[in-house]
Amino acid sequence: MVDLLPQWLRDVLGQDVLFWLGYFTNGKHLSWYASVQYTLAAGAIGAAVALGLGVLSAAGRNSRFAGFRLLGKAYTNSLPGIPDVLFFLFFPLAFEQAVEWIRAQAVCTPAELALGRWPLCPDANLIFGSFEYLILAGVSLGIVYGAFAGNVISGAMNSVPRGQLEAARAYGMSPLQVLLRVHIRQMWAYALPGLSNIWMLLIKATSLLSLLQISDIVLWADRLGSPNFTRSAGLVHPDWRWGYYLVLLIFYILLTFLSEKLFTALQRWAGRGMATAGAS
Amino acid sequence: MGLLRRMQNPLSPPVVEISDLHKSYGPLEVLKGVSLTARQGEVVALIGSSGSGKSTLLRCINMLEVPESGTVKVGGEEIALTGTPPHRKPADEQQIRRIRSELGMVFQSFNLWSHMTILGNVMEAPLKVQKRDKAEVQAEALEMLAKVGIREKAGSYPSQLSGGQQQRAAIARALCINPKVMLFDEPTSALDPELEVEVLRVIKLLADEGRTMILVTHDMQFAKTIADRVVFLHQGKIEEEGTAAEVFGNTRSPRLKQFLSAAGHG
Repeated sequence: MVDLLPQWLRDVLGQDVLFWLGYFTNGKHLSWYASVQYTLAAGAIGAAVALGLGVLSAAGRNSRFAGFRLLGKAYTNSLPGIPDVLFFLFFPLAFEQAVEWIRAQAVCTPAELALGRWPLCPDANLIFGSFEYLILAGVSLGIVYGAFAGNVISGAMNSVPRGQLEAARAYGMSPLQVLLRVHIRQMWAYALPGLSNIWMLLIKATSLLSLLQISDIVLWADRLGSPNFTRSAGLVHPDWRWGYYLVLLIFYILLTFLSEKLFTALQRWAGRGMATAGAS
Repeated sequence: MGLLRRMQNPLSPPVVEISDLHKSYGPLEVLKGVSLTARQGEVVALIGSSGSGKSTLLRCINMLEVPESGTVKVGGEEIALTGTPPHRKPADEQQIRRIRSELGMVFQSFNLWSHMTILGNVMEAPLKVQKRDKAEVQAEALEMLAKVGIREKAGSYPSQLSGGQQQRAAIARALCINPKVMLFDEPTSALDPELEVEVLRVIKLLADEGRTMILVTHDMQFAKTIADRVVFLHQGKIEEEGTAAEVFGNTRSPRLKQFLSAAGHG
């Protein structure tokens, strides 16, 4: 990378700076920087799934049908108690093995199934790569935090003044119009502060990706910071992990700062004219 | 003025016809067979003590409350109901929405949509329910806001307005759907006396224009001034009804006498 710089600039920078520039732009460090995409992708998938499940479970809790109410309550009341690390380990593995088992029923011979080995037969064996695990990681986060989101959204739906919904009905709006144009539109103003907190928790939980062998920022920081030996040079550098972890801390603080800015703007938009904390 | 208007056209067609309405909340029977007709251009005031059923009766007209039995006709069309109590509901969603879009309801606590500007509130139903042309609706909405005296507040949000201004905005919202009937549910009860006056002035103006209105009120003086006909409800039944002059000047029912006396009009 340093070789690409023009000679005059290399002269200006000097040997020391060029050395460190070269070090921090070597292939492994570039891979480290690029692995931020996994963290952000897991966060984005997790947020989308959490929001979707949150809306569905809140709708279930307020449903006219007892079955949906029970399902919504069971989900939003039980999931928040499960440690996210545990669910993060459980769900992708359980999902993978469940799919393998279903596949096995179709592709394995009865004799292979009767043996009861795992995998049940070679054809049923799934080899998941980083991409599949990343999706599963995002979905796992979404399932855990969707339960929190369901509680927040359900509470926010109940906070919308009943009189305004009644006025919408009194003026001939359809149930869908009442829901979308008044109920859900106003719900955001009440839900966003809570959803902002859940987003922060979810962002923190993205640091668990390495548990699924995804080469994320944490795994790379650990690899790059550990005492480094090569056969020819011996010790390249001692234990520098604290330095790399410090960079991660700063990264997460920056992400938190940007998220807060974004949520403040969203709350200002959603709370326009409304007498809530986010209103301006 | 109201009486004069009615005398000029005593046989105008009925706009709202309520027949033998019954409504209960659990074991509590709130309406016990109420029948009422409001004719074109008529102002009907519903009076009575708290719990007499007057607000429930008003809310049964647009089916915000669904009666157990009895019929409601708006513009000669009966609102179809289905199911057995307490699961009774409008039978035809399209019909009830169409009829509701012809009834301008004004609530005690205004119930303006707080995420919309005042202009947005006034334009919402004409645009989204009546599917009218935007330019035409906007022009009419601004005209209605001017009529109720808050044209300059069009771009404000409800929370930025006083209670009186909010209620006038709610009246403009009701006017902009060109309603067959205006339904007022205690429109000044949530207001301070000095703000009450400005709302009453607007309602009086609408009455003088010959609009059909059904009004639930605690303000006897106002009912006397504005109403062509006054209906006194007591424990879910019509105890007495007649012109304002008859009801206030020549009260027959002892209960109404007692009520008016308590209200300072005895």
